[in-house]
Amino acid sequence: MFRVILYTQWKWSRLPVALLTVGAFLVPLLAVQGTGEARGTTAQAGQLLAYVGAMGTFFPLMAGLSGLLVGVSAWAADHRAGHVYALSLPVPRWQLALFRLGAGLVLLLGPVLAVWLGSQIAVTAVEIPLGLQGYPHLITLRFMLCTLVAYTCFFAISAGTSRTAAIILGGLLALIAAQILLDAVGLDLHLLGTLLEKLFFWPGPLEIYTGRWMLIDV
Amino acid sequence: MSLAIETRDVVYRAGKSFELRDLALRVPVGAVYGFLGPNGSGKTTTIRLLLGLLRPEAGAITVLGHAIPREVPRALARTGFVPERPHLYPSLTVAESLRYHAAFYPTWDGRWAEELRERFRLDRTRPLARLSKGEMGKLMILQALSQVPELLVLDEPTDGLDPVVRREVLTALLDFVAQRNATVFISSHLIHELERICDWVGVMDRGRLVAELPMQSFKNGIKRLRVHKAPALAGDTPFVVLAREQEGGFAETWVVRGWQAPMGQYFEGVGATLREVVDLDLEEGFVELLRTARAVTPGGI
Repeated sequence: MFRVILYTQWKWSRLPVALLTVGAFLVPLLAVQGTGEARGTTAQAGQLLAYVGAMGTFFPLMAGLSGLLVGVSAWAADHRAGHVYALSLPVPRWQLALFRLGAGLVLLLGPVLAVWLGSQIAVTAVEIPLGLQGYPHLITLRFMLCTLVAYTCFFAISAGTSRTAAIILGGLLALIAAQILLDAVGLDLHLLGTLLEKLFFWPGPLEIYTGRWMLIDV
Repeated sequence: MSLAIETRDVVYRAGKSFELRDLALRVPVGAVYGFLGPNGSGKTTTIRLLLGLLRPEAGAITVLGHAIPREVPRALARTGFVPERPHLYPSLTVAESLRYHAAFYPTWDGRWAEELRERFRLDRTRPLARLSKGEMGKLMILQALSQVPELLVLDEPTDGLDPVVRREVLTALLDFVAQRNATVFISSHLIHELERICDWVGVMDRGRLVAELPMQSFKNGIKRLRVHKAPALAGDTPFVVLAREQEGGFAETWVVRGWQAPMGQYFEGVGATLREVVDLDLEEGFVELLRTARAVTPGGI
């Protein structure tokens, strides 16, 4: 049963998964470009770290995108037919949802392994300046956790009804509208800022996305 | 009588405009049960309740001995379902769709599925998105039959299909029933189609089951009588008068229910003459039944 569910999800999301896997493989390779010229001075090493850091922003972006696309595609076909087929199959709903979740996780191994492989190749193919070192396993682990967070969030949202999605979207729009109103009347209240802070800073659930993503660091 | 489907006092509301009330269905094991009703009468809602796709607000539902919705997966494992609109995944090919479906049913008969696929001339490699309406209808019935279910629930399975495809689908269905002695619960607008295949009939109107009886009783019980010099007040009739219409002069047409030949004596007793007894076909009977149901209570019976 799991095999056929995995197959259908592969069929629905194979193009984005393939593109993301290629992208995830290339990001670490691109992140170490220019390492060869940074053997000499501290200033050059600093420039290298700045470049690696800049390229590192692609890691959380790729992770978020992977989670989004695989999470949404897990239920897209069912949404189109009002979930009638899924609900008329002789399995408990929790089991079907678990299988779909699991199938998506298997598919996400593609981009995760690509990051690991790309990072391994990147740090072994270049000569890392003295005093710096590569972190291929750590960056892969972080990428994996980020992908997992994004995937589970989007999977849960997409598993819900369009009413659920409308409530979430409506809530966000209401918040933005409230912020515009507050700014217009000159009140010093930062609703959006506070929300983002709560989400992206410890102990927020999306804290893992923030900070520096360094494949090579001190 | 052993029952494949039984509902007791089921209530379901969908918003303010629609309510299913006091639904009490009794579908005998082995019956081909035709589920009739005008658009919006609650047929599809009833089917969704039977399959656990919706949850009733009150009442009890039993399908193949399993309480719904508590034991839905067990009931669904023994039930084949063809919904009103295509529900399969359009990106899969015919072969992939069959493989996907088969994985959920231990009773799946692969050889028979292949036989039906060839009989229905469905190309294994064709994506479902590129199937015609008729081909999709055939694939849905193929999948439901190949599960070898004890109960088939079909919601307008031949609606919109051309006569050739409809005949193919119905023939496959009747073959299945003959071979496996399965129970079939079929809703359809095509009354003449049900007349040919069903042995029980249930009629829904405005969210209520207004009649449930063997097809033979339904067909034979409703008659149109041509009466001469009918009394102004019918009084105590041994049958139910559904409608009376003046035809000019002393002639009247009566539509009655529960008619039997000896009841003709009633007219002699009231000084009238029974000129003719006309059998109504299922469609006419259905229309008269609904007309009466609505006349008795504006919201139903």
